[in-house]
Amino acid sequence: MNLAPPAPPASPVSISDWVTALEAQGYFADRRTATALHLAVALGRPLLLEGEPGVGKTELAKAVSRVLGRSLVRLQCYDGLEQRDALYEWNHAAQLLHLRLAQDREAPQEIERQIYSPQYLVARPLLKALQAPAPGVVLLIDEVDRADEPFEAFLLEYLGEYQVSIPELGTVSAQAMPVTFLTSNRTRDLHDAVKRRCLFHYMDYPDRDRELAIVRAQVPQASEQLSQQVAEFVHRLRSRPYADAFVRVPGIAESVEWAKALVALDTLHLDPEVVDSTSGVLFKQKEDIAALEPLMQELLAPEKAA
Amino acid sequence: MALSALGDARSGKLAENIVGFGRLLRRAGLPVDSARIALGLRATQAIALENRNDLRWALESVLVSREQDRIVFHELFEAMFRNPEIAKQLMAQLLPVSKAQQNSVRRRPRSQEALSQPPAASGPDRSPPKEEHRLDAAMSMSDSQRLRNADFEMLSASEFRLVQQLATQIPLPVPLWPSRRRVAGTGAGALHWAACMRRAARTGGEMIDLPARIPRLRPLPVLILVDISGSMERYARMLLAFLHAATRGISRRVFAFGSRLTDLTPAFRCADPDDMIVEAARAIPDFAGGTRMADSLRTLRTEHRRAVIGRRTLVLVISDGLDTGDLSALETELSWLHRQSHRLVWLNPLLRFDGYAPLAGGASLLARQSHAMLAVHNLSRLEELADGLQRLLKRG
Repeated sequence: MNLAPPAPPASPVSISDWVTALEAQGYFADRRTATALHLAVALGRPLLLEGEPGVGKTELAKAVSRVLGRSLVRLQCYDGLEQRDALYEWNHAAQLLHLRLAQDREAPQEIERQIYSPQYLVARPLLKALQAPAPGVVLLIDEVDRADEPFEAFLLEYLGEYQVSIPELGTVSAQAMPVTFLTSNRTRDLHDAVKRRCLFHYMDYPDRDRELAIVRAQVPQASEQLSQQVAEFVHRLRSRPYADAFVRVPGIAESVEWAKALVALDTLHLDPEVVDSTSGVLFKQKEDIAALEPLMQELLAPEKAA
Repeated sequence: MALSALGDARSGKLAENIVGFGRLLRRAGLPVDSARIALGLRATQAIALENRNDLRWALESVLVSREQDRIVFHELFEAMFRNPEIAKQLMAQLLPVSKAQQNSVRRRPRSQEALSQPPAASGPDRSPPKEEHRLDAAMSMSDSQRLRNADFEMLSASEFRLVQQLATQIPLPVPLWPSRRRVAGTGAGALHWAACMRRAARTGGEMIDLPARIPRLRPLPVLILVDISGSMERYARMLLAFLHAATRGISRRVFAFGSRLTDLTPAFRCADPDDMIVEAARAIPDFAGGTRMADSLRTLRTEHRRAVIGRRTLVLVISDGLDTGDLSALETELSWLHRQSHRLVWLNPLLRFDGYAPLAGGASLLARQSHAMLAVHNLSRLEELADGLQRLLKRG
């Protein structure tokens, strides 16, 4: 890579700076996350974020784009994602129309030059990220584990060089190197070669205090007591032995949604009845909702004592 | 942190330590190469070391690339950077400039292995068992006819080995299903513009035919659940050998269930069927024990739920349905599996008995929750299996 790491004036320059800057954007990062992030930006490497759904992987990328004042280009991966959806595509229909109109008036070489001009190129996220003028963009390649292996091989090349070649137009290199995030829910292991390109950061669920800070920031209408109870309850759900009873424990998004739901119901403090009636916000599976009921008293009891 | 004792990156002491640490991690099985170590050095320069854990987290983000390696990383980090004595010993071992020393630290096996002198390379004994198949060449027509229709349970040991070999040669074309990727083809589908333009160029710009992009057909992913209880032992061995060969190259997950669930997918990666059986037998702690299907399925649901891929998976359950566990729990788990799978097929060796009906508790549940029940008790039945699966999928 011969590109200098991006350094717009506003960019945080130390780990503590990152923690503060992200917090100002409503993202409460622990120091471990901030370290990984700082290194990714300073060393100019993509950051691979892994972790359970709902721990804030995608949100981190969004918060970083706000901190750096760069726009966010997002590529959502899915099974069967192809280069044409990820990189670029020619607008064949428009090319054809142009061809028909021009064929009697212009020389063949001229027509060819015209229809393979950037005008007819439809840029998809990965090309857009390269074309963006300084200060560049934050590129989020979301749920990369959903795409198939051939796409991963292509990504490897892309992340190594930050340039792509379009046969008809030539090579496009990054104007300013994007700050790149890859996220994975670990539905399958990524290829080692892709991991070697990236820095790796495994995101855990936040601790109780960080969760409380998030709930407070995202749902300011909730009373202090309720926020604390929500953070405590969700924290308990995620810790053993309770976590073992559930297939999927709630993520941060769920606890925030839950706090909002409780506020909407004018709840002042948690009781079994209100938890039961809102459990659909926390859990998305019938089995998990059923598993919650027998544990309810235990989950709520120590808080009341506290 | 004993940073003062270790120096900083520019003066060389920390650099040396990080190189040593990288090699230590590599010995513990983390994929750390020289490029990574170099990046680790750059990382230590990029952070200001304001916080005592900064070095740890900086190195973690660079040197660790798998979630399961994190614990080992932190243990070794403690050993290396918190205790200068250990660090000194380790450096003595790891860097070629100094003489090796004995070390006496006690830690978990993987860390300990990395911390100790590397032993001489020794893997599991993979020499294949030497056995002659004298029957091979001498098999007459009537023999082969008899073996084709002989119940697996009724075979002698040498016949069993022969039949197992024959079974691995039976093809099982797993039904194809349109994937989300598209390829050029003809028929209904999105217009293949690039190909249209290329063809039009040949005919002077006139579009005569319109190539399309149609979904590529791929075999359905397969999930194999094999019952390894006492009553199923021989069938289980035979079908594992058969499916190992027949589903080669297809995305597959394999689990054995008896009193508990065992993931056989790693064993199935062995290319050789004999190796596979040896590996599988080694992995299974409870071959020929009882069956508690509900517990096993629950483990599947909670710990390996991604073995069932988005309602596309063809689930093959190999069992006689004789279950000793809780029936209501079994019903819940089976109905989950039924909902999640594309087709749930029960391969039942008990169908060898004329007039067999799945009436026992577990069997009746399996019969109700599976899309079909197919027989697998002899070679000719295995040959018919492919047809049975195709018919089942056509039924829609």
